[in-house]
Amino acid sequence: MDTPLREPTFLILTALATEPMHGYGLIGEVAALSDGRVALRPGTLYGALDRLVDAGLVDVEREEVVDGRLRRYYRLTPAGEATLSSETDRLRRNVEAATARLRERATGATAPRLAGGLA
Amino acid sequence: MSDLERRYLRLLRAYPADYRRSRGAEIVGTYLDLAGPGQRWPSPADAADLLRGGLRQRLRAAGAADLLPGVRLAAVLAFLTATSLAAAWSLLELRPPADLTLPAARPFVSLGIGAWIAWLLAAVVYALAPGRWARRAVALAVLLTLGLVPAAPLVGLPRPPLFVLLPQIALGLVALGLPDALPAPLRAAPPVAVGVVALAGTNLHLLSPERFGGTYYIWTAVPVLPVAAVALLAVAVLLAAGLAVRADHRGIWAALILLTPVGLLALQPLAGAMDGARTSVAVWSELAATAVVIGVVGPALLPLALAIRRRPTRSPNLTPR
Repeated sequence: MDTPLREPTFLILTALATEPMHGYGLIGEVAALSDGRVALRPGTLYGALDRLVDAGLVDVEREEVVDGRLRRYYRLTPAGEATLSSETDRLRRNVEAATARLRERATGATAPRLAGGLA
Repeated sequence: MSDLERRYLRLLRAYPADYRRSRGAEIVGTYLDLAGPGQRWPSPADAADLLRGGLRQRLRAAGAADLLPGVRLAAVLAFLTATSLAAAWSLLELRPPADLTLPAARPFVSLGIGAWIAWLLAAVVYALAPGRWARRAVALAVLLTLGLVPAAPLVGLPRPPLFVLLPQIALGLVALGLPDALPAPLRAAPPVAVGVVALAGTNLHLLSPERFGGTYYIWTAVPVLPVAAVALLAVAVLLAAGLAVRADHRGIWAALILLTPVGLLALQPLAGAMDGARTSVAVWSELAATAVVIGVVGPALLPLALAIRRRPTRSPNLTPR
């Protein structure tokens, strides 16, 4: 699967990091993780899950029928865990770089930054 | 089975049959879990979500998951071409014939000015609010362009010729696939192109007020469309080749989609070539016959390419491990 991951994909993998979940649970968890900003609909969610299953990042753990409705539980595979981990590292590095720059700006460190060596 | 479940199952027909068998119960179950108490009908947003998901799965099954990104790329290129042409035609419209006995919708050349202004406004909407509003503005511009054909005889005023209107409508239909989010330089491109054309109209030799105005049938106006056809085709082919190097096939789909508007833009030389006489301005019957051929063959290329590329439908592996 292409990286960097799109935000909904990243949030789906994040939601599955702690425990296997079914579609309905995933929709609620993704909404909670994003403070309600990312509201997945089932058509979109299952399209994303298909791509994740094809890429080997997610697989089906078990199925059960509740109130006559089929529920499949999805879990993160080792490859999914590795992808989520490397994406998290990448985002963390970006956040740290941005935070450092903003701190410099706030403290008034305005010395010009040299892109190359001195001539 | 409740009415709501039955209605969701009906919408689920948007998906391929194989996919419905493996995933249908789960998708509908999730919709029912999310449904509010007493809800009897799927919301319009749910219906759109299912139709979009079904289309995506059908394209995936046809081995053309990259078709939708191709549609969006084609839409951006088509919109840029359509707004640039609208700017050029607006210049022409602002220069009615000096001979007052010639037919004109004074102070303009024809009724076309109404449609061209709608296209220029669509460029502004696209820069400020891409997505739904931009698509609505494009749809309005297409309808106004189309509406010129019945409006002209009703009010007894001239309109731009069909060989000008047809490619504009074809470009507009492709532009309806404009994406929701785009980087700022791409959003600014159509208004910038309009500005460049406006400047060219005052300085560029062939678009200067002395040569470009009065009528759509002057020798400086007729080649505008084939030039636009060559430019659009060249950009589409170069983009397709560049993206294909990175194993990204959306450029190829975009080029295929754009072949119909490109063919209609090149209607004059293509029609001229058909009779072997290679006249620069083809006669009406040649133009009509060529337009019909382009209108049939061009759109048929896409399903043909999909059929050639089709692979056996593969459902995701949903077996618990």
